[in-house]
Amino acid sequence: MREDVLRVEGLSTRFFTGEGQVNAVENVSFDVREGEVFGIVGESGSGKSVTGLSLVDLVGSPGEITDGELWYRDAELADEVREEFPDVVDGEYVDLRGVPESVRTSLRGTSLSMIFQDPESSFNPSLTVGEQIAEAVEVQQRASSRPRSTRARTDGEEYSLGSLVLSFALPSRRYVSEESRERAIELLELVGIPDPVERADEYPHEYSGGMLQRAMIAQALAGEPDVLVADEPTTALDVTIQAQVLDLLSELQAETGMTILLITHNLGVIARMCDRVGVMYGGEIVERGTLEDVFRDNVHPYTEGLLGSVPDLESVGGSLDPVPGNVPSLLDHEMEDRCYFADRCPKAMEACLERPPDTRVEADGDHVVKCVLTDLEYGESPPLPDDHFETEGADASDGGSNESADASDKSASPDGGDSR
Amino acid sequence: MSIAKFLVRRTLQAVFVVWGVVTIMFGLRAVSPGDPATLMLGEGATAETIARVRAQEGLDEPIYVQYLDYVQGLLIGDFGYSWRSNREVEAMVIERIPATLELAIAATVVALVIAIPLGVVSATRRNEPADYGATLFSLLGISTPNFWLGLMLILLFGVWLGIFPTGRRPVGLVEAIWTLVAFGSAGDLLTWLQHITLPALTLGTYFTALITRLTRSGMVDELGKPYVTATRAKGLPAVLVRYKHVLRNTMIPILTVLGLQMGTLMGGAVITETVFNWPGLGLRLIDALDARDWPLMQGIIVFIAVAFVTINVFVDALYSSLDPRVNDE
Amino acid sequence: MISDRITSNLRRTFRESLLPKIGMVLLVSIVLMAVFAPLLATHDPTRTGYYDEGGNAYPPIGTEYTTQIAVDGEIQEVEVTADSAHVLGTNNVGQDVYSRFVYGARISLLVGFSATLMAMLVGVPIGLIAGYYGGRVDDALMRVADTMLAFPALVLALALIGVFGESPVYVPDPIVSLGLADGMPESIPIPGTVTIVAALVIWVWFARVARGEALSLRNEEYVKAAKSFGTTDRDVLIGHVLPNSVTPIIVLATIQVAVIILLEASLAYLGFSGTTLSWGYEIERGQDILRTRPWVSTLPGIGIVLTVIAVNLLGDWFRDALDPNLDEGQRGA
Ligand code: SF4
Repeated sequence: MREDVLRVEGLSTRFFTGEGQVNAVENVSFDVREGEVFGIVGESGSGKSVTGLSLVDLVGSPGEITDGELWYRDAELADEVREEFPDVVDGEYVDLRGVPESVRTSLRGTSLSMIFQDPESSFNPSLTVGEQIAEAVEVQQRASSRPRSTRARTDGEEYSLGSLVLSFALPSRRYVSEESRERAIELLELVGIPDPVERADEYPHEYSGGMLQRAMIAQALAGEPDVLVADEPTTALDVTIQAQVLDLLSELQAETGMTILLITHNLGVIARMCDRVGVMYGGEIVERGTLEDVFRDNVHPYTEGLLGSVPDLESVGGSLDPVPGNVPSLLDHEMEDRCYFADRCPKAMEACLERPPDTRVEADGDHVVKCVLTDLEYGESPPLPDDHFETEGADASDGGSNESADASDKSASPDGGDSR
Repeated sequence: MSIAKFLVRRTLQAVFVVWGVVTIMFGLRAVSPGDPATLMLGEGATAETIARVRAQEGLDEPIYVQYLDYVQGLLIGDFGYSWRSNREVEAMVIERIPATLELAIAATVVALVIAIPLGVVSATRRNEPADYGATLFSLLGISTPNFWLGLMLILLFGVWLGIFPTGRRPVGLVEAIWTLVAFGSAGDLLTWLQHITLPALTLGTYFTALITRLTRSGMVDELGKPYVTATRAKGLPAVLVRYKHVLRNTMIPILTVLGLQMGTLMGGAVITETVFNWPGLGLRLIDALDARDWPLMQGIIVFIAVAFVTINVFVDALYSSLDPRVNDE
Repeated sequence: MISDRITSNLRRTFRESLLPKIGMVLLVSIVLMAVFAPLLATHDPTRTGYYDEGGNAYPPIGTEYTTQIAVDGEIQEVEVTADSAHVLGTNNVGQDVYSRFVYGARISLLVGFSATLMAMLVGVPIGLIAGYYGGRVDDALMRVADTMLAFPALVLALALIGVFGESPVYVPDPIVSLGLADGMPESIPIPGTVTIVAALVIWVWFARVARGEALSLRNEEYVKAAKSFGTTDRDVLIGHVLPNSVTPIIVLATIQVAVIILLEASLAYLGFSGTTLSWGYEIERGQDILRTRPWVSTLPGIGIVLTVIAVNLLGDWFRDALDPNLDEGQRGA
């Protein structure tokens, strides 16, 4: 079996907004193996994007990772920080939450990189695409030209405001070198952009959506990352272009051997790309395992609802929207101590009014489900009446939860929550 | 649209605007009470002299002939003669430009040097003490009339602390630099610096406050955009994200606002020059107004209008070179 | 128009932050001071001649000072205490500084609000029509607007005052005419030209904002629908376009009140206002005696600063709550 490159344990990310505390990611654990595609699937507002951002340490204020460990495998890094931070090193693994921020910053782009849903808004509109990719190349080259021990301490300050000011006056002091520009053009070619020399000098608004997504992939590749977090990389694109971009990702993965964490709400994309999957609901991963575990042998009623009556993997397609009911509120004070899916679950029982623990379906397997059905058959505990939640908390489930779902949506987007 | 075409169009618009200013000023003069010849010669002039001057100045011609004459004169750089001092208006304007320009540039430098870092700090440390301080400062800055601020500065730094002189500007920047280069003496330059400090602060405070507010709110908006996260995700050092990307994009729209605010800057210069008795165009404009010296008044105002539209054409050009999307519309 | 969402936004922002509260308290107190000026003032603000024995201005209470008295043809320095009747002292022509301070609020507020209102009444219809019809009308407006903006507001104001004179308008004081205050002026002079000129230099900003709104609404579905049902342009403008422009215009108006108060003060300072009962004028009057009697210039300035801060704070509040897209670009005259 391939080794884990990333082990996430008990990750929690919260947003502290005017409306209250939003538990966007709640005690999430999963592992990602070297060279695989691990998928995270869920409705919008389920916390999957925030999970991705948490991995690359880009959760912006008012959000904060409040708990959990992020074990990342990097033998070199482990050797370097073992002296200073023995607690956060375990063999070849380093807990990124335990090392100084500067170390995490130095890993960004070169070890862990991320691409985003909307290529048009993910590029700076007033710099050429070539320049922006060249910046990423430069990050990589500066990182590899120096031993990491010095990098970790100085990165961030190494390129100071002073040198930036100087770079306006002296072209030779520019951050981006000529070689990096040339490499950017190669990368554009690699991701299949025609006339890369000319296109490198064009601005993002001169690109089509699909081309720009390719350019964003090129930008991520520039850092030669071990793990690429791809947050809905095809959602903003036309169907035919989607397929092309996914093919491109697969090809590049085969070439470079990188690991991809693919976040999407599209089951078709998951079925097509992933080796293993985690299903997110209400900020939690409710079921995870191999593609087969989740698509065929699923236990959690939410997973079942998502898949509907799809008989086999090949015919899975389209987006999610099969489960009736509202996306749950992630506002802390509205979250009750129960299975978060219970109000929508067709098999809800009295046993579900306590938080179900993560349970392995087979003792030695890694098909993990957060649902009482792993231990009980439906009916072993008294089923809840259909109107259980309506009578109990009408205000929290109707108008109230709609509004707060909005709020958590806002905060769950990487930076929307705090922009005003 | 190409940049060249864009510039040609903007320049034509600018010419139109200047023509509008010229015409309005001429119209105002035509309807203003008081006989020019009397104003020129003073109350004691005899009827014959007045008649002679009227003929000489073409004041008896129909109004449209006077207008055409005036415009024709402007086109060849002839702004006419001051009624009061009987000197050429061009000369009277030109000799006052350096002092005003020094003041305006010094104020702008003060504003930019203080405001941009302040706005950046304020935006990046939102709701921290630094932000509150900057917000308070900028609120005070846009709410304080500059003439009063000038007087208070004089009172504080000139009278009570005695740090800065409050007298009239004794030496111009050009001469001061000349003495430095030619005789190696920095004394004049120091004197100049001492004298311009308070006026520059007086004129610059409003703009410092304004630009701080603009930078802060622009940058807060900009920082919330997805490309910022994406740029950080590729590992770019924070300094570069903040300045090369975010600040740059913040300043592009601010630039246009600043171009439009040049009118306010020039109005502010008039006041500041009055407070500090600073021998610039503004002070001369007030003198001309007091004396109802129309040719001088018109000359100064037309000059200000030309300066204003030129700056704005320049700003537009800069804008279109900074924001690649403009030229594609 | 003013929807529930807007009012609830306003209420929430007001509740959540301190600054709008400060602004509100300040402005309400200044408005009250202006309205009840005749009751609050201790002396007729226009009456001159309140001097000490030496013929000099009184200082504010709490300061000791010496005055010069001619005794037998010789000048002598004599210790004097401030006159408790003149709380904030008197100025160089012997007027009561406190009473003038109280009355000065009237001019600032009256000019600020009435000029803004006038500018709004002129600018908004023009802007709406230009933006709604587009084409030539619009081009013409934009050129006029450019020309107006090329004039520094202050310079334009000076030129216009030079032509039209100062034309003060005497407004009778209701409190005095009701006999509630004795010995106060029966009317106060509002600087007429200044008010009109101020409106004239800022209407363009209203026209621009209204035009922008009309332009963007012109192609909205519901406006098109209304037109297709045969609604006249006039009704579309008044019924659909105008209500949608209300919020940005309110925000703009607040900012402009602040701008005009500063403009009026500047003109009064330069001596072009036509009224002597103005904070700006008072500052000018104190300038010559800044070294010896600094309070004469200082106090009215504080009045201006507080008033403008109050208006700006409310403007920020409106902007934050109503229209985050409007920005400082509108802060110009
Ligand atoms: S724990 Fe109960 S309510 Fe939750 S998903 Fe399982 S069966 Fe449904």
